Amino acid sequence: MADQENNGELSPRPEVLGGTEMTEGQASSPPRDVWDAEIRPAGDGPVGQPVVFSTTLQTRSFFGISLINGLLNIVTLTLYRFWGKSEVRRRVWQGVRVNGEAFEYTGRGRELFIGFLLASLLLGIPFLTFVFAVQLLDEAFSLLVLPGYLLIFWLWGFGMFTAFRYMASRTTWRGIRFALFGSAPTYGFMWLGLQFANGMTAGWIQPIFERLLAEQVWNHMRFGDRRFRWNQARSERIGLYGPFALGWFGTIGVFIVAAVALGVIGAANPDFWDQVSQGMEGVDTEVAKFASPLQVAAVILELVVASVLVLMLWALVWSPYHAAVLRSVTAGVSLDEARFDMNAGAWSLWWLTCTNIALLVFSLGLLMPLVQARTAKYLVSRMRAIGQASLDEAHQAPPGPRTAEGLADAFGFSLI
Amino acid sequence: MQGSFYDGLTATAHPAEVTFDGRALTIVAGGETHTWLASELSVDIHADQARISRRRSDARLVLALADWRQVSGALDGVRRHSAAGGRGLVVGLVAAAAATAFVVFVGIPMASGPLARATPLEYEQRMGENYNAQLSAVFPACEGEAGQAILQGLGDRLSAETNAPFPIQVRAVHAPMVNAFALPGGYILVTGDLIAAAETPDEVAAVLAHEIAHVERRHVMQAVWRSLGAGMLLDLVVGGGTGAGQQAVLLAGQASEMSFDRAAETEADELGRSFLHEAGLSSRGMADFFERMAEGEIDTPAQVAEVSEWWMTHPNTDRRIQAARAAERDGAPALSAADWATLRQSCSSDEAETGGQPWGPIVIERRPRNDPMPSQSNEVGQD
Repeated sequence: MADQENNGELSPRPEVLGGTEMTEGQASSPPRDVWDAEIRPAGDGPVGQPVVFSTTLQTRSFFGISLINGLLNIVTLTLYRFWGKSEVRRRVWQGVRVNGEAFEYTGRGRELFIGFLLASLLLGIPFLTFVFAVQLLDEAFSLLVLPGYLLIFWLWGFGMFTAFRYMASRTTWRGIRFALFGSAPTYGFMWLGLQFANGMTAGWIQPIFERLLAEQVWNHMRFGDRRFRWNQARSERIGLYGPFALGWFGTIGVFIVAAVALGVIGAANPDFWDQVSQGMEGVDTEVAKFASPLQVAAVILELVVASVLVLMLWALVWSPYHAAVLRSVTAGVSLDEARFDMNAGAWSLWWLTCTNIALLVFSLGLLMPLVQARTAKYLVSRMRAIGQASLDEAHQAPPGPRTAEGLADAFGFSLI
Repeated sequence: MQGSFYDGLTATAHPAEVTFDGRALTIVAGGETHTWLASELSVDIHADQARISRRRSDARLVLALADWRQVSGALDGVRRHSAAGGRGLVVGLVAAAAATAFVVFVGIPMASGPLARATPLEYEQRMGENYNAQLSAVFPACEGEAGQAILQGLGDRLSAETNAPFPIQVRAVHAPMVNAFALPGGYILVTGDLIAAAETPDEVAAVLAHEIAHVERRHVMQAVWRSLGAGMLLDLVVGGGTGAGQQAVLLAGQASEMSFDRAAETEADELGRSFLHEAGLSSRGMADFFERMAEGEIDTPAQVAEVSEWWMTHPNTDRRIQAARAAERDGAPALSAADWATLRQSCSSDEAETGGQPWGPIVIERRPRNDPMPSQSNEVGQD
């Protein structure tokens, strides 16, 4: 591992940390006094500075990049998406400020692209081998599907963690990088465990895992050499089970409403309904035979509107829970003496979700960058810190992985 | 002018005195002097700040926007920081996309024929056994053993003079559609509904001959290679993502698959007629069957779904009918009246099964998304 990056302005080539576990010992060895300073802050009493969040995000300015990315994605068969995503992140990050100084995203599209290629090889070759083995050699190979599923759940968590690690390493403030230590394989196992436990408890274990997963990230996160900490007790002060119960039972209600809505639309359009219920295949041709285009458009519009309304209702019953998770996780995080607080309420989160759904549905997903910017603005403008952190004294963190996130991208998962 | 300098080692803000001499920025901060060449600079401008960085360095200089404008006025084209990629990148990606499209729409279809012929017969045989086993669960064989034997006999007669690389194994099956399938390895399934929809044994023989032609030309294996190659390549490009753009790319890939199916259908029509002629049978059944399909004579309400689904993979019907009429010849009837009656009885339990009922929940996607290996009948040599 490199040990010279603190010696000058020229950064050495970043080391590949990838998914391998990175421990403090493996990390670059900064001068001893850096670690000492962390343990014994210079001087007595509270040190550091207040932490004040602000945002200069102009969500409207994300219309342009949404259109440009959409166009370039079409003409490149979506190969441009890695660069488009990086540019969106860069613009979101620079609109977020702490103590008047903006964050900077230093990631590159090329890094995402290479990570994606690596992940495709890593997943594609075993998958193809499996398919050929089943089809051409022996059907008994299909028994490998079960361990394969387990592997995929594990890989999913693994990929998420490496994505977090990559994004942290590409996020700087005042030229100092964030760094996520900790173990991606461990996170993968926790994710796998969550799927099992959720299956066995009909989802009721989820609130416990939200905190476990957050702890795994925040206990290993640093700004430069300043450690973030996870405080379980503080996080637990914001209860999750009440809102969870509301969401869980509310979902049953939403299903009933959805069934009624489908029934009403069906009753109003009996011909169409017959076709759908018996058709299953080639629905559009049958409809073309039996209904005028106008009728078809009307039914489709009704279905779209009904789906959006049901989605909004669904978002409504879960909003209290999601808002509580945001508050609870934020409350569990601290940096030096600074604790954090997220003023996210159920109604405001619901409104954000609904407007975002509408933007995505009616733009066929084109306005995703705008949605991401709106979400970032919502979060940052509701975030505040209590207490002080020694931000100014942070020393540079080791460079992060050269490429990453490929796995997460291969699974279609990405925070932003 | 004044600015804030961050040295890339700590997050401490150093008040900086900044001067520019037309070639380089000189930054005096924290008792040190830094010289940054103009050619190494890039800048991030947002709101009221300009954040200047130097290539391969973690250090940053932050100036008020007005001050930066003063400096940059004297500078020619400092690189604006961007992750969007330049024109070169976009041109390169468009070229890569075009190359991918070329491979998917031209290269793979061209290669699929040779690949299919190069596939060892025992591999295709094994694949056929797998498909056949899977499909038997979905589409159970019809019960009439005598009828099955007659159908197999017809298949044997038609394939006797062909170069089919596999023994032809025909089976009538219960399935809620008017259709027939050739699987890899010489397996052919004819649905009970198709037998019911046929007015003469010649029509069934025509369909069977068409399917045997698929087997002889190894169209099924070609389709497997095509969908494997194209599906995989497109999945690789779009990364299994779920965005609208990614789905559009996959749909385009499926559309191309259908157009190659059509070419294979035309070839199978022609070859099928020659099989009928070689066996001394009439080939009039082919055009008859197409025509009645086109006129919708069997468009009874309960069958609407199947017929239209059948049409969707067989466009240019008029042309097919014309070709069939032009090339048709008289010949012996495919089956005796007694055999024909027996064959029509073999799937008779269909009526009871489906009478007045909506079709059962057998949902077959035209082509399973993101599935490079077709496991459904409708992907392979469908007719």
